[in-house]
Amino acid sequence: MSAVEETIKDIIVKIVHCDREVLTPTATFQDMKADSLDMVQVLVAIEDEFDIEIPDEDAQKFQNFSDFIAYVEARVAEKKGNA
Amino acid sequence: MLKGKVALVTGSSRGIGRAIALKLAEQGADVIVNFFRRRQAAEQTAKDIEGLGVTAKVIKANVGDPEKIGEMFDIIGSSFGRLDIFINNAASGLPRSALDLDTKGWDWTMDINAKAFLLCTQRAVRLMEGRGGKIVTVSSLGSHLVLPGYTAIGVSKAALEALTRYLAIELAAKGICVNAVAASLVTTEAGVLYARLAKEQLGEASPWQTTPAGRLVAPEDIANVVAFLCSEAAFMIRGQIIIVDGGTSLVPFGLMNKGG
Repeated sequence: MSAVEETIKDIIVKIVHCDREVLTPTATFQDMKADSLDMVQVLVAIEDEFDIEIPDEDAQKFQNFSDFIAYVEARVAEKKGNA
Repeated sequence: MLKGKVALVTGSSRGIGRAIALKLAEQGADVIVNFFRRRQAAEQTAKDIEGLGVTAKVIKANVGDPEKIGEMFDIIGSSFGRLDIFINNAASGLPRSALDLDTKGWDWTMDINAKAFLLCTQRAVRLMEGRGGKIVTVSSLGSHLVLPGYTAIGVSKAALEALTRYLAIELAAKGICVNAVAASLVTTEAGVLYARLAKEQLGEASPWQTTPAGRLVAPEDIANVVAFLCSEAAFMIRGQIIIVDGGTSLVPFGLMNKGG
């Protein structure tokens, strides 16, 4: 498990108050019992943590947790590449 | 009419904010397009503004976060050195009844809808100092009418309207006009969604299908009034809440279209 994935899990557990075990690769925001405000707050916290941007236009495409991790990892790698 | 003016419109990637930004640009103002979640839409708004022959600048900032507000105004200060018009439009909130509200939802709504108006105005005034300016905030009928699932948003809009009055007096001596525009349901993405939810709950009795004026309020209807309040013609209007609702708030909902 990557450091990015670990951090994302920490953030979700803190904001959504779900069990860490729920965060499997196929988990959806519904599985986490997150409402729309939780989702926005998770996205904002991740943006701040990694200094990246996750516009809603992209966030709407995530099917599950695995998609989400892959997207954030790609953005973080992209940022490091540009640094 | 607004040529050479610099305007900030919060939450202007889409909906009412976008319509206001375009209207001010049409009248000659350079416009700062603030957005929170929709970058592509914000960039499209900026492109459309530039198509009108004025300057547009896109700034991402969650106005619910005081630190981000500070960063946004730092950028405005360094890019433009001044601000002539501040439109407080950004809003958010979850549809919840009072008993279903939690502190997170309450704080989120109040921070973005009400507190941001105060904090942004404090910074905007520094950029208007010595030259005067126009400040307009976007409110809604939910500030004084009870709408389904609208508790936190309605309370935040009531705070916004009260703050409009206090700021109007405090800033009058600085030549800054402060007013609000309160809309009924507007045909934006969010408005249409709310209308659909209301119709599911209330059926044909839902009031959000038309107005006594014969149609729902469009974003451009709000933009027209905001632009007027930003003009010198509105100089003596201070601390007022201008209702733009096609007459909706004058008619008991059950009697909509049955008056006269």
